[in-house]
Amino acid sequence: MRLARPVGLLLLLVLLLIPELLAANGASSVETGWFRTYRINAIIVAAVFSAAVLYYTQRARRGDKLFVRKIAGLDEVEDAVGRATEMGKPVLFIAGIDEIDKIDTLAGLSILGRVALITARYETPLYVPVRYPMVLAAAQEVVQQSYLTEGRADSYNQDMVCYVAGEQFAFTATVNGYMMRERPAANIMMGAFYAESLLLAETGNAAGSIQIAGTAQPEQLPFFIAACDYTLMGEELFAASAYLSHEPLMLGGLKGQDFMKVLIIAAILVGTFMVTTHLGGDWMRSLFEVR
Amino acid sequence: MKTKLPIAIAFLSGLAMVAVFILNPEKVGDMEGELLQWTTVIGGFTLLLGVVSIVRVNWRPVVRRETGWFNNAALLLSVAVMAIPSVLPVSWSPLFGTDGGSMYDWFFINLSAPMMATMFAMLAFYVASAAFRAFRARSAEATLLLLTATVVMLWRVPVGEGLFVAIHSKLPNLINTYVMGGVNVAVQRGIIIGAALGAAATSLRIMLGIERTYMGKT
Amino acid sequence: MGFWQRVSQLDRRWIYLAVALAVIFPLLVPMKMKLGITPEARQLYEAIETLPDSSVVMLTFDYYPSTVAETRPMSIAALHQMFRKNLKVITMTTIPLGGPSMADRTMKLMGDLYHKTYGVDYVNLGYKANYTAVLLGMGSSIESIYPSDQYGTPLANLPLMQTVKNYDQISFIFIVADNGIVDNWISIVNAQFSTPMGAGVTAVMAPKFYSYVQAKQMTGLLGGMKGAAEYEMLVNKPAMALIGMDSQSLAHLLIIGFVIAGNVAYFATRKKKESKG
Repeated sequence: MRLARPVGLLLLLVLLLIPELLAANGASSVETGWFRTYRINAIIVAAVFSAAVLYYTQRARRGDKLFVRKIAGLDEVEDAVGRATEMGKPVLFIAGIDEIDKIDTLAGLSILGRVALITARYETPLYVPVRYPMVLAAAQEVVQQSYLTEGRADSYNQDMVCYVAGEQFAFTATVNGYMMRERPAANIMMGAFYAESLLLAETGNAAGSIQIAGTAQPEQLPFFIAACDYTLMGEELFAASAYLSHEPLMLGGLKGQDFMKVLIIAAILVGTFMVTTHLGGDWMRSLFEVR
Repeated sequence: MKTKLPIAIAFLSGLAMVAVFILNPEKVGDMEGELLQWTTVIGGFTLLLGVVSIVRVNWRPVVRRETGWFNNAALLLSVAVMAIPSVLPVSWSPLFGTDGGSMYDWFFINLSAPMMATMFAMLAFYVASAAFRAFRARSAEATLLLLTATVVMLWRVPVGEGLFVAIHSKLPNLINTYVMGGVNVAVQRGIIIGAALGAAATSLRIMLGIERTYMGKT
Repeated sequence: MGFWQRVSQLDRRWIYLAVALAVIFPLLVPMKMKLGITPEARQLYEAIETLPDSSVVMLTFDYYPSTVAETRPMSIAALHQMFRKNLKVITMTTIPLGGPSMADRTMKLMGDLYHKTYGVDYVNLGYKANYTAVLLGMGSSIESIYPSDQYGTPLANLPLMQTVKNYDQISFIFIVADNGIVDNWISIVNAQFSTPMGAGVTAVMAPKFYSYVQAKQMTGLLGGMKGAAEYEMLVNKPAMALIGMDSQSLAHLLIIGFVIAGNVAYFATRKKKESKG
């Protein structure tokens, strides 16, 4: 897909919408036209973000080397699976406990695909318990395709991925029981986790597993950091698929994110200065309100 | 076609949700509500998958009398006892359905709810063992983590609050303002912003078909 | 094996036993420790207290049965205040598993205690699937989302709901939750409809919402059992949360003790290893 054209179109859209933003600032939320002009600020930010992601993806496609820092937890994934293979023990993968419409779960499934490639290659048993039927369907497809890609279709067993329970703590109890009985050598927990995060991580620690966890829920990070060997924090979870695949197209997206972060930092600094010096801080604040 | 069709559907669905965010509902109707209803309907069809999976995985150990087969049998019995009476019409018996007084309600309130609360309560024990193991002053950062955790743990309970008030009457408020309202808020915001950008980038990659691993295409 | 080496390798079951004893002992021998009130809890209390009598408030039961120890005392304390002030209460839940049942039991208990009439003083809307559509839809019309209440009564037949059409008639939303639904309430309801709201959440989630209170998107915050105990003190109805604070105090002190012992053992055994090596 040629990306230069969409990038250019998006930048043009941003330039055309800036006057609308200035006019709509303070506009009432009762609209009569086709568009919700009071959300123009969100549209501009989304357009700039998309343009940045597409630009860097284009650059990656051209062959430009994009630097991505080391993420220790992801480097250890293959070693963890290797450890499981040597010990003759399974790998336990949990793609979070939320529904498939959550982006964390999709990120977890992307990582599952990469992990399944490795377990297929080494013929390591893989167990993937899921909490929702839609995640079951997606995860089975992901694992099956990975095994087919590695040419190990005969090693694939549909029951590798199974639905265990729809309730959070029933799911946790089942997985904890599995950990204590089967003693998996590696626990990889990537996705959305809530109150059960410490229950899973601490039980895995008691079972002697090497644990790599990643979540974008900030309130669960302390539990994973305390109980797991490696933890992916927030955006590192979403970067995992790109990091493990080393595909330039995916790495380009990471650079686009960083560009947006720079813009956000600049906005915070400018806004803080304006509010502190009473130089139109309210106007700056209203620029970022989404109604 | 096998690859292009799912990517096209993903792109159009994503675009529809973006359009719904921008377009005036007065003009286009409740498109957002309709699209969200669709996800519920599609989810309903996959419920059967879950039931089939759970029965198939647990039936085999029962039939083969594997070690611990009675646990699998108990699970299958629980599924039957909860599911069957709850879908039968209330008009047949007040024990059916899911209203108050039904079997489903009784089992939920007297068995399921206490078990859920028990599992949650186990966190107290696990926090203690995790804290004992993890809070070691191995480095400067680990020491800072340890000290902050100790201060916050004391601040959250009356005996600790009393201790802080004895040191200085404004100390609990200072902890609230500078630790919880200062450092904690800054870190939470940083992680939330980073995670939100990551989620947005992942969503964009999924919409454009760059990220396809979630549908089994590596 | 030396003493400190034994301490550093302490079997976790001894820790579990000590925690169990620390939790049980104060329940048998109450210590009645004095509790301070955080500014966030007081802010939430004042937000309800300053509402004119007969204002309409919404109280949500967005929590699972697993967290009732932390969240149910918040709901009960809030209802004490709301019914004392003769506020009209509309309840709803976004939790299908246990939410409607808990809302029903709690509202009936408190309604009977304050001699309130269902349909006039309070209404229980119950649960509807798809919380995003529910939260958004109630902004234009509550009846479009909930044609009838939890018990099947059409909303048009309930006197309270004849005057409440959407968020515009609701003065405050008191969210009691144990999951990320609070983010949706803020981003959908507060951001788009400017309805003032406050929340009571579990202790694990509370640090996340300080930023919303600072940004004035939320008026007040209760965190965990301590937050519930603070609210019980503010409404002057001491109950389970205040009783539980003694156990929580002792358990926290025990954990700090274990952490100190673990660190002493760590340094003692490290020193020994260094002197040997």
